[in-house]
Amino acid sequence: MSHTSHSAHATADLSEAEEIRGYIEHAIHYLPTQGPIKVFVHHNTLHAFEHLDFEEGVLAGLQVFGCEPYFSEERYREEMSRGRIRMEDIEAVLQEDLGEEADRLVANSGTRYALRLAMLRFPMNSLPDRELQWMLAESDALWRFRDEVPSSLAQKVIAATRSMVKNQLASTPAIKIAKLKADDLQEFAIETSERWTQATWEAYTLHCLWRICRDQMLDANGGSHSSASDQVPLLGRHRVLLAKATGADSDALVNDVLIRFMAAYLDQGFAAWEMPDRDDGLLRSFIKLYALNAAAQPKWMDGLIAELRRLRSQKADPYELILDSLNQLGVAVEERQSFIESTLLALRGWAGMVWQMESCAPWTPRPAKPGSLVEFLAVRLMLDRHAIAFIAREKMGVKELAEVRSAAADLCRKQCESSNSTAFAIFQIAQACGYTLEELHRLNIFQWKQLASEVMDFNSLERRRILHLAYERKYRSAALDAVKIHSANRMQHQHRSPKPTAAFQVITCIDDREESFRRHLEEIAPECETYGAAGFFAVVMYYRGAAEAHYRPLCPINIVPKHYVVEEPVFSAVDENEKRSQRRRMIGHLSQRVHSGSRTIVGGLITGVFGSLATFPLVARILAPHVTARIRSSFGGLVSPPATELHLQRETPDPGPTYESLGYTVTEMAGIVVRILQDIGLVKDFSPIVLFLGHGSSSLNNPHESAYNCGACSGGRGGPNARAFAWMANDLNVRKLVSEAGIDIPDSVQFIGGYHNTCNDRVEYYDLDQLPHSHRKLFRSMESSINEARQRNALERARRFESAPLSLTPAEALQHVEERSEDLSQARPEYNHATNAMCFVGQREWSRGLFLDRRAFLASYDPSIDTADGKIVERILQAAIPVCGGISLEYYFSTVDPEGHGCGSKLPHNITSLAGVMTGAASDLRPGLSAQMVEIHEPMRILFVVQTTPAIMQRIIRANPAIESLVVRRWVQLALLDTTTSEVRLYRDGEFELYRDGLNDLPNAASSIEWFRGSREHLGFASIGNQQSGVNAASGQTGVGL
Amino acid sequence: MNVESLLYVLGITTVVSPLALLACMGLSSLFGIKLSESVVSKLTQITIATALVPAVAILILMLATDSRFVSVDVGDWVSIPQQHFHFHLKFIFDRLSVPFLLLSLVLCGVVGAFTRRYLHREQGYNRFFLLYSLFLAGMVLSAVAGTIETLFFGWEMVGLSSALLVAYFHERESPVKNGQRVWSVYRLADAAFLIGALTMHHLTGEGDFASFVGSEPWPGGTAQLSSTNALIVGLLLLLAASGKSALVPFSGWLPRAMEGPTPSSAVFYGSLSVHLGAYLLLRVSPVLEASPLLQWIVVFVGAVSAIAGSVMSRVQSDVKSSLAYASLSQVGIIVVEIGLGYYYLALVHIVGHACMRTLQLLRAPTLLSDYHAMENAIGGRWSREPSKFAMWLPKDLQLWAYRFGFERGYMDAVLDNWIVRPFVAAFRWADRQERRWTDWLSTEPSRESDKTELHPESFAEPLPQGIKQHASQA
Repeated sequence: MSHTSHSAHATADLSEAEEIRGYIEHAIHYLPTQGPIKVFVHHNTLHAFEHLDFEEGVLAGLQVFGCEPYFSEERYREEMSRGRIRMEDIEAVLQEDLGEEADRLVANSGTRYALRLAMLRFPMNSLPDRELQWMLAESDALWRFRDEVPSSLAQKVIAATRSMVKNQLASTPAIKIAKLKADDLQEFAIETSERWTQATWEAYTLHCLWRICRDQMLDANGGSHSSASDQVPLLGRHRVLLAKATGADSDALVNDVLIRFMAAYLDQGFAAWEMPDRDDGLLRSFIKLYALNAAAQPKWMDGLIAELRRLRSQKADPYELILDSLNQLGVAVEERQSFIESTLLALRGWAGMVWQMESCAPWTPRPAKPGSLVEFLAVRLMLDRHAIAFIAREKMGVKELAEVRSAAADLCRKQCESSNSTAFAIFQIAQACGYTLEELHRLNIFQWKQLASEVMDFNSLERRRILHLAYERKYRSAALDAVKIHSANRMQHQHRSPKPTAAFQVITCIDDREESFRRHLEEIAPECETYGAAGFFAVVMYYRGAAEAHYRPLCPINIVPKHYVVEEPVFSAVDENEKRSQRRRMIGHLSQRVHSGSRTIVGGLITGVFGSLATFPLVARILAPHVTARIRSSFGGLVSPPATELHLQRETPDPGPTYESLGYTVTEMAGIVVRILQDIGLVKDFSPIVLFLGHGSSSLNNPHESAYNCGACSGGRGGPNARAFAWMANDLNVRKLVSEAGIDIPDSVQFIGGYHNTCNDRVEYYDLDQLPHSHRKLFRSMESSINEARQRNALERARRFESAPLSLTPAEALQHVEERSEDLSQARPEYNHATNAMCFVGQREWSRGLFLDRRAFLASYDPSIDTADGKIVERILQAAIPVCGGISLEYYFSTVDPEGHGCGSKLPHNITSLAGVMTGAASDLRPGLSAQMVEIHEPMRILFVVQTTPAIMQRIIRANPAIESLVVRRWVQLALLDTTTSEVRLYRDGEFELYRDGLNDLPNAASSIEWFRGSREHLGFASIGNQQSGVNAASGQTGVGL
Repeated sequence: MNVESLLYVLGITTVVSPLALLACMGLSSLFGIKLSESVVSKLTQITIATALVPAVAILILMLATDSRFVSVDVGDWVSIPQQHFHFHLKFIFDRLSVPFLLLSLVLCGVVGAFTRRYLHREQGYNRFFLLYSLFLAGMVLSAVAGTIETLFFGWEMVGLSSALLVAYFHERESPVKNGQRVWSVYRLADAAFLIGALTMHHLTGEGDFASFVGSEPWPGGTAQLSSTNALIVGLLLLLAASGKSALVPFSGWLPRAMEGPTPSSAVFYGSLSVHLGAYLLLRVSPVLEASPLLQWIVVFVGAVSAIAGSVMSRVQSDVKSSLAYASLSQVGIIVVEIGLGYYYLALVHIVGHACMRTLQLLRAPTLLSDYHAMENAIGGRWSREPSKFAMWLPKDLQLWAYRFGFERGYMDAVLDNWIVRPFVAAFRWADRQERRWTDWLSTEPSRESDKTELHPESFAEPLPQGIKQHASQA
């Protein structure tokens, strides 16, 4: 870059800076929204495209991020071969997709529907040109019909060729087959054709077929091997063209520097030595650091020092720098927006983290200064410029930056190849459809063109889209059939006899992982009832445990809590607590010393010499994780806080973090209690014990641990919410206010809070000392049922873990999952939401006893207590659709493209800056889910089944933009259930269409265990147990032994 | 059976069992027999047990009989008397090799057990264990090597398996590039080692350690070399050790080695192979003693590495690089200890450091929750006072030192700019001259290879091109 060009643009006027700012703000929408990984919240990976239809959105994702929209075609074909996609699904989906176009004739040789079906049925190889050449020359592509073609069809075509040749030989002695040039088929001596074997005829047919396709396509394209690839666009990042032309990647050079710099700049306190002058901002600290005289540095950075030196002495304006870089790189004004966008996306993980740290993370130890993203772009472009100039100079001899793209394009053009890919596609289709040579001969050039454009239109992406829709359809049909049949059965019996009060009631989170837990509990204790509510139980709070240092929000991410709650030692144990917390502090300081000291010289010397002691924990924790964990927890008693209580009640008017303003007023508590009880439809017939279970997950060596926790608690553990709720619902003053709202809670009813760890399947109960004696017997029996349910739940989970034998007993399974959570070497502590596929919103009555294979979120809702316009279901769906939809979509994208949308394999993950993970020694930050988390996931848009009427649902869709965009734009699937008629209506193009087709029977199994025993795969639906029983028939019976 | 033959049998068992594992894993891969995960992990466990039990038995026997030196002589593997060439296989068990052997076996065993679950369902499970068995065999051979050629043999196996494990995720570009970088540095070290070994052979006529460091058990012994000869051989071996242990100026590869799965990073670069250079220096310690100048050079290299490692470790913001450099600073100190003659201290230091670092690296992914737990225990934010280390430095130097650590001591750039570039340039120049000469001779372009087109797919396929392909795929 010459100095003159720099000074010419040195003064960027204000409007241009504004313009750049606008472009950057636009690009921000495309950056990942994952902040520091300590708080992991599932969300739609392609949230930036939610304003588009799903199918368009995923294509936009492909264009902008280069990430796959669906599984690969091979993968869908595998699913076809194992019956996961049926032919009837493909046919139905294709018919629906084409609508009236289905019957349109294509080139007189069949309907568009038939053509597309053939392309779906048979694998279409689309090969790069070289590979195609190789395949034609070396493989038996021209010698044998493809294996997938039924032999009868092949025989028919061969026979037609035979008779054609015979006729032609009879009529004209000259060997001339229609439009084929004679010399093309020299290898077949046609005079001897009478003596040919069947194999020769087959080869001859295929050779002719290929040549017809090739030559006709050539003619149809006006004599040139056409393809889109010979126009090399002069737009886009220089790196792309440069890499294509020279094979050298400028991003590799830049990223090496930039990743290290960004990691240090965004460091949240890992490095012992913080970047000097970090507070001056990203650009300033970069200039200071890199303007230094370096002992040696990569050659491409030679020019950078001079530039940085100049900048060091003046006030560097990032916008000015960006404009300067753009101008030097020869980026035209019209192109600026897309150029800036793609430049920011080149390291989108880091760029996204910068933006998160400057905009949404005031709670982190070291947030970034506002404007950091702009400065990041300025630095990036500056580095890009030098790297590009270096490569262009070294590899192409081009000195002028602005000319790099055109020079590289020239080089690329020379390398461009002709393409026969369309011809090859038609060749494959012709085989699949059994076109004879004569039929193909008869096509005129216009028809060939038509055929070609048909084939091009139904390209690989389109085929994958249809295959994906078929993949979803298979599951959706099975699910809706099961819901129809099962709910009809259940409701029939429901009406016969009145319902007695349940022995106890358990409320869990709506989480799909609680589905199996609830199902097993209901099987073991038929006299109980279970409900599902979003796991923060309407208790929106900043919470700090007795042994914790910081408040953390326990509520959905889109709500900012106003209330603060603290766990305190009970009054009599305050002194004891002080002692223990001193011990904790001591251990904490010690481990801090060891942690940072072991990386210094002197400290390292000491720890190194005594490091042999580390052998014991090392060997013990890896060879016997379970025993080690037990020993550790027995020591834990010395330091963990003694008996505690929540500081929940507030007298002052305003909530806040000071001691007096902790907690809630009675009125606020009553509001929370009423809200939840109404949501789940539990407003009368209370059992003596009502148990609320929050949930979370604990695992070791897992940077994504918070992703396994409760999504409704922003990736926190929901135990405190359940505990707080139970306390509120037990409070007599609160109950008084609650009864004024129409919900009468009898004095004999006790609420208990608990916590379910979904990884090791442990259940803890809070504040049991408060439980009256009258309830203790019932509690024990409930506890034993829950213990049994934990074991069975563990067994059902263990069937998915390949390392757990299928022959485990429930007790062994429980031990197995406990070990998983304590094992340092376990990359799959649990499968999290990997099996999510559905969300039911409605009464448990109609889904109880239906085996859902841990694939459904279950939110309880009773339409009979709702207002006429569905206010209650509305507020449930306001949370459920975005949250469950987000989980489903994040899993979807991380599964279809684990490297692009997901964070790849977790085995080489490397925690950096305490903010995220890189892959290996240095890479972009990786948001998304790891390959180990999604390996058993079936990527499908979540299917909501809501127990409400079309009119109410339409109103809710219209009134809530967040729901509207997901439903109308088809990012989620929605069906409505009418329990009185068991009719299901499926949302399609703005209407709820009656769902008709389907099966009439559902398999029956005596117990869940019987149904899933011995299988590792996803399982179908089944009715469990005798569906006439329900609550009434089996009351009094506790626990079903195995 | 007398004690001697018992020791012989035990010694052979210890060495043979890792080789047997290597043969199992290698042959099954060669013949395409897919061993199941459980078979592989069983085999590994059995191997570790059959190597570890005899090793412990040897230790007990040696303590009981108060012998300080046991040698297991297998004889010549290759012997060509006409050429004066022989490859002598001999294993020795003494105060140096037994602790190092036990360390290798325990750490490899633990990491084997860890990996069994960690790599569960991974595509390259068998490949990992093949390389693991190669590494294990290499470590055992190096540990008990009684001749310099045996040591070199083990050393090569370790190097090969390490480089391949860095490139374990070979479907991505950067592991392969970094693996190649590690491999290049290792080759440099190997070359130095080989020249050193040959020189030693030349000087003493034998590769047997006993012949040039005397027959006294380690760490006694005096080198049978003149001071100058010792300096030459010693410098070559120091170069070899520096490459292997990532001492200055070769430290650049250490963080790059963190590309593989966590357990391989932990045991190989974090603890075992990074100490192998130090082990070599310990093994030839009498040679060092023969030349005071050499000793001071060793101390100097160690001290520089320790300080550089410590600075670099403080600056890194990702956990694996930070631990890698922390390892380096300790290895540097170990080398200083060796240079100063504190051999036992160095040995204890190696063992302690290797164990601790393995544990730390295996736990690296749990860093966030560790921080969280520590903050909770302390009851506040992780306090980060300005680094004491930095405070000692004057203000100007602070930024410079930070940059030094940040750039990883400029070592990659130094090697690239000052060694690789001139080297490549020289050969390119020679190539051009040759072409000119042959063209002139044949009076036309003489190289057929110039005309071959590069295969277009061999370029890194940039992203939008990929998109276009998707769109145009039919």
